[in-house]
Amino acid sequence: MPAAAPRHPCGQRLIMFNNIYIEEQVAAHPRSRAICERFPQATQISCERYGEVFNPKSQDFRLQKRNPSLILAHKHDGRLLETPEGYGIGGSNNYYFSHMLNCLYDCRYCFLQGMYRSANYVLYVNYEDFIQDIDATLAQANNEPCWFFSGYDCDSLVLEPVSGFAENFLPFFAEHPAAHIELRTKSTQIRSLLKQPAIPNAVIAFSFTPAEVHTALEHKVPTIERRIEAMQKLQHAGWPVGLRFDPMIYHPDYQQQYSRLFAQLFGPLDTTCLHSVSLGPFRLPRSYFRNIVRLYPDEALFAGTFTETAGMISYPPSLEREMTDFCTGELLKHIPEAALFPCGLAA
Amino acid sequence: MINIVTALPAEARPLRDHFKLCDKLQNSAFPLYRNADMALIVAGPGKVAAAAATAVLAGIAPASTTSAWLNVGIAGHAYHAIGSAFIAHRITDQASGSHWYPPQTLAPSLPTENLRTVDLPEADYPEDALCDMEASGFYPVACRFSSSELVQCLKIVSDNNAQPSSAVTAKLCSQLVTDRLADIAQLVHALSDLAGEYNHWHAPHPQLAQLAARWHFSVSQQHQLQQLGRRWQALAGGESLMLEQLQKKNSATEVLQCLRQHLDTLAGNA
Repeated sequence: MPAAAPRHPCGQRLIMFNNIYIEEQVAAHPRSRAICERFPQATQISCERYGEVFNPKSQDFRLQKRNPSLILAHKHDGRLLETPEGYGIGGSNNYYFSHMLNCLYDCRYCFLQGMYRSANYVLYVNYEDFIQDIDATLAQANNEPCWFFSGYDCDSLVLEPVSGFAENFLPFFAEHPAAHIELRTKSTQIRSLLKQPAIPNAVIAFSFTPAEVHTALEHKVPTIERRIEAMQKLQHAGWPVGLRFDPMIYHPDYQQQYSRLFAQLFGPLDTTCLHSVSLGPFRLPRSYFRNIVRLYPDEALFAGTFTETAGMISYPPSLEREMTDFCTGELLKHIPEAALFPCGLAA
Repeated sequence: MINIVTALPAEARPLRDHFKLCDKLQNSAFPLYRNADMALIVAGPGKVAAAAATAVLAGIAPASTTSAWLNVGIAGHAYHAIGSAFIAHRITDQASGSHWYPPQTLAPSLPTENLRTVDLPEADYPEDALCDMEASGFYPVACRFSSSELVQCLKIVSDNNAQPSSAVTAKLCSQLVTDRLADIAQLVHALSDLAGEYNHWHAPHPQLAQLAARWHFSVSQQHQLQQLGRRWQALAGGESLMLEQLQKKNSATEVLQCLRQHLDTLAGNA
């Protein structure tokens, strides 16, 4: 069993990799070189395309999650995709992108473990191409407001000290006020954000579940208290912050759990400056659900009663409605209706 | 359970002695030795032989559990010292150009290196890889029977530019493996533990077999029963499968219905 990662004096786990796979095409990229220099003890393994390492069938996500490696790659196409119908926080031109595949955290409900065979982290180092695509999309929209959502295939900030993702992307958004970005995260890696002036069109959106769910299912994720502290620091620095309750996880005591969570959150946060709050039901494509159950047959979360509609696994519709209605009602005790967006990203 | 594939009897001999692999299977196309936890097969040189031997070993392994796999053997390298040992992190088949990347999930116990499988002994060593003649036959076949994290190749340098392969004797080969037994044993232990944990995760409920013996379950019903057994283990932990109550049922259908109702109640969102 790999040794537990050592911790920085501030308490955060230090990120370490035993192995770094490097696509030949990006071996000389400055970002690749900087990352490799940061991990001099890591074995560097060359590959032609990252898919050779990431895609083979005979891999076990759960086994690899014990000791994932880092893969540095070039994203050739499909860098920017339109979001599914109904997804958004107020804008009508909505896109999502992923500079990275897989997440340092290990949340048991996460669809990534059902979607990908490998738990290795893929970091696309060609940020400049992503930014070019965002620029082109903005131009095509005649500079109408466009939303760009980060954090679908990964956590937006957890690898920030290594990836420099926010540090490299946010300057573009600072210069293009019509381009809005959401950085969805469970991380407290906000140092790079606090080092730069806040940008009104960049929302740092923190995901939460109740404390009991966090303890049981969100492995390696910072505590609720530490995430609230990070949000407070960002709010104090002028950053728009958002709250994301997506997915909502059922427990027989879910009403008390979510009530307690909302009380815990809305006490310390300045709700007048809260950008947005969104709710999302628990949904997984059937194939992802089956993969995850195969990986974690002992997980009580997946032993409940689910229904399947149009290839998506979810709680029974009546329960899903009940949870959404309850949480909506509770949230509206704390925030105005205009700040609440009840539909999250359907996985 | 761990399966070890070697090419040469000289490689296998120290492993047989160390792990006390006594039983030689009769009527096997390849020399095959085993104990309760390990099987060792001697393939002969070459990737085709390695692939065939791996498949033979897979055929006699227990079907209900997943085994770990390890290819142990000698290899050449341009400049690595004779006797140095490595785990392969990239295997290339020279003839086809195909690559495989054994996941390095275990804590590193040995350095890792590229490994190139060649069809004939090479006089010129590549500077960036070990050279052997078996790994590209062993690895993809073993991965058909196990998850790739449980399949690894360990190679011991037997020849280099200073001491070419013509100097490698059976006695040297055995000595090189003997000198690395501690490392091999550590890797065997780590892989076996990982396979054991993997099998524990996926073990069916121990009482399902009793139900299957009592009533006739169709293939579809068997799948349903396994799923319900999984849900039972997740929701009811080590609790018994209420066999007394189920014994009163008249058919597999009623058994499944009873289990399902009980589980939905346990789940709390029926």
